Amino acid sequence: MLSNAPFSTAKNFWYTSMFWLIVSMLAGLVVAIKQIDPDFLYFQGQDALNFALTYAHIRIIHTNGILLAWLSMAMVGAMFYIIPKLTRTPLWSEKLGNLTCIIWNLAIVAAVVAICMGYSTGVEYAELPLILDLGVVVLCVLMSINLFMTIAKRQEKQLYVSIWYFVGSLIWLPLVWTVGNIPSSIVGGAAQANMNWFYGHNVLGLWFTTVGIGQIYYLLPKLTGKPLYSHKLSLIGFWTIATIYVWNGPHHLVNGPIPVWLMKAGIIPSVLLIIPVWTVLANVFGTMRGVWHKVSEDVSMKFLITAAIFYLMACLQGPFQALMQVSAVVKFTHWVVGHAHMAPFAAFSFVCFVTIYYAIPRLTGRNIYSKTLMNLHYYFSVIGFLMFAFTLWIAGVIQGFAWMEGKPFIETINTVQSLIVWRAVGGTMMIVGQFFFAFNIWKTVKSGTKFVSDEESVVA
Amino acid sequence: MERNALAIYLAAIALFMMGTFATIILPFFDKEMMTPTANAEARNYAPDSPEAKGRQVYIANGCNTCHTQVVRPVKADLAMNIGPVTVPGDYAYDKPHLFGSNRTGPDLMWVGARTSKEWNIEHLKDPQKIVPGSIMPKYDYLSDEDLNNLVAYLMSLKPAPAK
Repeated sequence: MLSNAPFSTAKNFWYTSMFWLIVSMLAGLVVAIKQIDPDFLYFQGQDALNFALTYAHIRIIHTNGILLAWLSMAMVGAMFYIIPKLTRTPLWSEKLGNLTCIIWNLAIVAAVVAICMGYSTGVEYAELPLILDLGVVVLCVLMSINLFMTIAKRQEKQLYVSIWYFVGSLIWLPLVWTVGNIPSSIVGGAAQANMNWFYGHNVLGLWFTTVGIGQIYYLLPKLTGKPLYSHKLSLIGFWTIATIYVWNGPHHLVNGPIPVWLMKAGIIPSVLLIIPVWTVLANVFGTMRGVWHKVSEDVSMKFLITAAIFYLMACLQGPFQALMQVSAVVKFTHWVVGHAHMAPFAAFSFVCFVTIYYAIPRLTGRNIYSKTLMNLHYYFSVIGFLMFAFTLWIAGVIQGFAWMEGKPFIETINTVQSLIVWRAVGGTMMIVGQFFFAFNIWKTVKSGTKFVSDEESVVA
Repeated sequence: MERNALAIYLAAIALFMMGTFATIILPFFDKEMMTPTANAEARNYAPDSPEAKGRQVYIANGCNTCHTQVVRPVKADLAMNIGPVTVPGDYAYDKPHLFGSNRTGPDLMWVGARTSKEWNIEHLKDPQKIVPGSIMPKYDYLSDEDLNNLVAYLMSLKPAPAK
């Protein structure tokens, strides 16, 4: 049952993550439909079912599913692939890796059940009960042991920048997770809200972003056939993210009930983050010099470049929103939801797609089944996301200004109603795109044509 | 350093701790952050009181997913007549905090001051009947006990009486 086969851990994480991607996105669609028709999935007289399926529970399944199931598992799969590749060393223990994968999946199932039963800490993105929180820490330890041991026993002594990012991420995740999940019995009130957003932001910036960037720096040379434009810049990016990102939590509480000095301690670093973001973009554009034509030839390149652009956009929009005057208009509106999806979906999910499209042929010996399906995956994801995000940003601005005029709340609901419908249309397209993805990968594994590696040496 | 993983680990931890110290630890020493106000005392419910139980119903049903409990000193909040601006000390006994991050529905920080028990009971059971066009789910599946406790909690969300 627990395989020792090379890269089996990576594959298992990826395959199971794709299942959770679909489940979590469907939960998101349900939430979007419930905002149009609050009686969707309401069954007269079925009290227990209605409780299980209430809006909040589905929303929590959506957020936790995307963050802890899909995206985390896809990123962990990527590390279980890329670290052995870069260190030219087999994973320390595929058996342990596969055990980690099994426990992770079981924990997600337990989480879904717990949420539907109404167990919630009440803390956003940290809703899971303490016992599951401890389970996450165990999973972090299991994967860290495995990956750090691989690095310790490595053949290739030079540590390419991706490994720096992965090492940092593996340290930061459990620390950030701990801060966010300290029980309310120990700390509550505004201080806890502050810790909530320390966690909420840093799980994005010091886990998803950093593992994502680590993947980008691996994929760029692989897909373009060219060396990374500037190694120095990539390290500047690492140091500036490691220094600056951790301060950003309070930008989620701008104008809110925290001291002004704390707000500023979050806003200023938020703006400074443009520095590391720019190092990534400079490296992407620099490495692409002379090979831009690959974007039209290779769907993976389309995904990667698009991801980098959406990453840049998210990281310009973020500092913009952190400014007190801007926040005063858009906070608590639909705008925030639009922003919140840009990096996890249009930047870092896309990066994970590229890693999967890159690695699966090399691990299974089979070409990706259909380029047409890859293109459908790309266009449905991008067009769907643009529709999703722009309807929300427009709705958010409308709400924000309407509230400033003191318009009755229910009136502001009515005003943006059609935009909310189009948001669901966009969201549906986003999900349909993932069905193309899952089907394509499944067909690849089952019956793709023989893949011949373009690499000079076959590793591990 | 490009061959020394341990150096990277240590640097990553050290830089992380700096930001953690500044934005997590220091606020615990800030009086404004930590001093309970009269409003906080009013929300310091006795364990097993209806309000405390109602707060658990609020959490179990995820009300903070759609409703905030934060009033900011900004035009949007002041124009919407949702009550006085909140300060950190108001939340001193909120375990967990229920700030919320999205107003799919209106802010509830002072909802007890502008609604009645009867209104809340009817509204929770069938929001669309009370507020046509509302997108709030129906909470008619709650037991009478849960509903009454939840409403007791909501009605307690009002400014503490002036001394």
